[in-house]
Amino acid sequence: MPAARSSPVRTGVFLCGVDEALSDADLRLLASHANELPGVVLVRREGAHPDPQALAGEIRAQGLEAVVLAGQTPGYLKPAFTRAMALAERDPDHVRLAPFREHGAPHERFLERALAEITCAVHGVPYGLVARRADVPVHPTTLVIGGGVAGIQAALEIAEGGQRVVLVERSPSLGGHMAMFDKTFPTLDCAACILTPKMVAVGQHKQIELLTCSEVVEVMGEPGAFQARILKRARRVDLQACVACEACSDFCPVSVPSEFDAGITTRKAIYRSFPQAVPAAFLVDAEACTWLQSGGKRCGACLKKCSKNAIHLDAVDETVEIEVGNIIVATGYGVLDARRIARYGYGRYPNVLTALEFERLTNASGPTGGRIVQKTRRTNKRTKAEEWVFEADGPAPKRLAIVHCVGSRDEHFNRYCSRVCCMYSLKFAHLVREKLPGAECFEFYIDMRAFGKGYEAFFERIREEGVHVVRGRSAQVTEQHGQMVVKGEDIVGDRLLEYPVDMVLLAVGLEPALGAQPLGELLGITRDPDGWFHEADYNADPTGTDRPGIYVAGACQGPKDIPDTVAQASAVAARVLKTIASGVGGEDRAQISLDEVRVRARQLASRLADGKMAWQSGSIPA
Amino acid sequence: MAVRVNPRLIDDLARYGAQDVSKCYHCGNCSAVCPFSRAPHLFPRRSMRYLQLGLEARLRGSLEPWLCYYCGECTEQCPRGAEPGETMMSMRRWLTAQYDATGLSRLFYRSWRAELLALALVSVLTGAGFLAWGVLNGSLAVYDGPGAFLSSAVVHRFDWALAAALIVLLCANCARMWWFCVARAPGPPISPWSYLKQAWRLPFHFFTQARYRECERKRPWAVHLVLVLSYVSLFTLIVFFAQEMQAGPAIDWRVHGLGYAATLGLVGATLWAVRARRAAQEAQYRRSHESDWIFLLLLLAVAASGVVQHALHRAGFLPAANLAYLLHLMLAVPMLLVEVPFSKWAHMVYRPLAMYFEALLADAHASAERREAPGVARAA
Repeated sequence: MPAARSSPVRTGVFLCGVDEALSDADLRLLASHANELPGVVLVRREGAHPDPQALAGEIRAQGLEAVVLAGQTPGYLKPAFTRAMALAERDPDHVRLAPFREHGAPHERFLERALAEITCAVHGVPYGLVARRADVPVHPTTLVIGGGVAGIQAALEIAEGGQRVVLVERSPSLGGHMAMFDKTFPTLDCAACILTPKMVAVGQHKQIELLTCSEVVEVMGEPGAFQARILKRARRVDLQACVACEACSDFCPVSVPSEFDAGITTRKAIYRSFPQAVPAAFLVDAEACTWLQSGGKRCGACLKKCSKNAIHLDAVDETVEIEVGNIIVATGYGVLDARRIARYGYGRYPNVLTALEFERLTNASGPTGGRIVQKTRRTNKRTKAEEWVFEADGPAPKRLAIVHCVGSRDEHFNRYCSRVCCMYSLKFAHLVREKLPGAECFEFYIDMRAFGKGYEAFFERIREEGVHVVRGRSAQVTEQHGQMVVKGEDIVGDRLLEYPVDMVLLAVGLEPALGAQPLGELLGITRDPDGWFHEADYNADPTGTDRPGIYVAGACQGPKDIPDTVAQASAVAARVLKTIASGVGGEDRAQISLDEVRVRARQLASRLADGKMAWQSGSIPA
Repeated sequence: MAVRVNPRLIDDLARYGAQDVSKCYHCGNCSAVCPFSRAPHLFPRRSMRYLQLGLEARLRGSLEPWLCYYCGECTEQCPRGAEPGETMMSMRRWLTAQYDATGLSRLFYRSWRAELLALALVSVLTGAGFLAWGVLNGSLAVYDGPGAFLSSAVVHRFDWALAAALIVLLCANCARMWWFCVARAPGPPISPWSYLKQAWRLPFHFFTQARYRECERKRPWAVHLVLVLSYVSLFTLIVFFAQEMQAGPAIDWRVHGLGYAATLGLVGATLWAVRARRAAQEAQYRRSHESDWIFLLLLLAVAASGVVQHALHRAGFLPAANLAYLLHLMLAVPMLLVEVPFSKWAHMVYRPLAMYFEALLADAHASAERREAPGVARAA
């Protein structure tokens, strides 16, 4: 325990690795602030490779007793400084860190947070302890944003734990991307068989209030006591009255591409996303509905056909306000628009499909009942336009190519690895070989990332099934005399391939969902440069965010497969249940002012020095 | 077969301009989009691999860099920013240095200061020699005929001597290239008949640049062809018709007509290249090595001094014309002596030669396959 001191400790502040995050003006401000702190006799920048010998000389010359390393992640340099302190015969324990990134400095208030952290480090007290705010009693209701597998899992676990959940989903049904999938890798389980019971459970759970066609538009308050405003878009069909008899959609004259089928089939303007949708009630697409677009002058066929009088085309959107204690963000991902990569010919050649389109094609509930067929040309009776559609009796492809890393690990598109594409591509190859044993299937990959449990065995299995796995991402899809040709290099075989195929599947990469940016802004949580939500700490707190009381689960935090998504969702549920059980919300560091930090740091330091407060692990909040 | 690995090869190539080779993760995109890449010469990826692995002997014996015309397609589509096109360009520089036994090329490519120093040295020696000759044997006021400051007969003899020296140096380099790429290449032997049969490729590719034309964008090929033909025309005029060129002040249209056209082509094409390199928009002009700039600027300076000399002579300012002539020689001689055997200009021989060698190797493989095929039939 440090003894009581009369004079402040002579301290040197070293700014390390701050160049990218801070402008020169900001750096000057940081330096001048640090200079005014008690005991600080030296403030300067330090390079990436400090020399302990030279530093020891400087420490001795300046008579430093303590050193503060401030920067994004200054921990990298701590060993050099510890050694320098030892060389200078000072206490090596007096190397303190002010790691801006670790405390999740929000971008808009980065400088203030950085100043606060330096202040605490100079006083020798942990920032987390100083910036702790008086705890607010936690509201027991939890808001889950997003009704994919992550949101479903988190909501169910919390509800099963006996607490109330409000689940907000933008689309008309629960399910998210997983509901579109045919099989899961590497177990080849039926995705719907896993998900549908969970969806039904959410829909029926007494503790879960399900708001579909809804969006969170505003969040106020603080951890433990948030007020959220939710926009409920008009469904125009009564949830309770509708018995999903389909009479309305049978007579609806408007057809538009089906979102759930990734655009490879059409749906009506009054529709249900898919037969297992939860809630099961139909809804009206206001953009497509003739009655709504004509201001009630034309059509209205569905109104006449509904025997339950469940259709209210004149219903309007409404906004509700709810009180919640915790918020779980589970908004999932989007996929790269394959049209952006012109050389793969997506949109130009009818039988170049994206991964989601193939999922729907091969799905037993898809347009062909799960048969893998090529598109056939057809003349649209109404518009007289030529179009390519999937028909159940269409020709089966004899040769398929699956192209990995479409838009991933690529400087021109997304630099990161999307993590799931290798495995779902292998799954596609398996499905093709299973359903079309005579078809040849080529996988063009760069590196095979089969990292999970059972994944490598799955890869081996697919190879044994006779899939040609070619190392070398193919570069182009062209057409020669009406035949699609995939061109690429076979790197192991050291030859150029020009492979004639009937169908190309593009393993498009994952991207942050379109709504992630506005949602991040309204929640006050940051996103990383790729657009995924920032976790509070990559290793120690992968489910938290900058703001206590707000958590991330699933692919909205970064590309993830289903097992990882479910695991993270369960972890978040446990954290939420913990705060509810403890009765207090988290601490909101973002709210505390710099002056307050300064005063509190001084008080805390003097209390420590006076021995009124002892260093105990229990005194530092987790 | 044992393969010797040089772990510093990649660092060595960095001095020649290839900075980003290690970024390559071998997706094979570049080889697939390259209009020139076809079996058995697959590039740029395979060449990038040689670099990453340090397979120096393989790289030294590979023709691929000369078969690449840097259309930039590979660099533009590279997902890693590994600059495959620039790497191939750097390999051409490196190979030029490898073919040169004196080590001067290596020195010039690795240090632009050394190259400038060599240019300056040759320039000063040339200037001093011609100045001494002119002062001793002629008068500054006489441009042509008896008592000329720089008599065309003397310059003519000097041209021949210089041409002979360049040919000897280039031939030595070509012999080394043949040794690395053909003589030591694994595979079936090449018949003498094949050497004769394929010889037409040398002049054909030299004069038409036909392969360059296969690039998707045709303009670089067209500009390059203009540059080549202009240069060949001027070279022919100067080496074979020096006396007719120097006579005057009347303009001899039999030689000067072609001379003007070629000058225009030379200056135009060079300015186009300078502009493209300065704009640094297209992949192939984005990164310029010092040797590229020295070559282009030297070419411009030589052309400019030639034009000035010609204009002063025709205008009757004979002493000034003589001085301009001296300056022209002081620029042209070092350019030829340094650039042709030791630097960028050497590619004018290596490129056609590489295509010739490529055909020889293909011939040998084809005939070996023919020899084997009947055997296979018998075995079956």
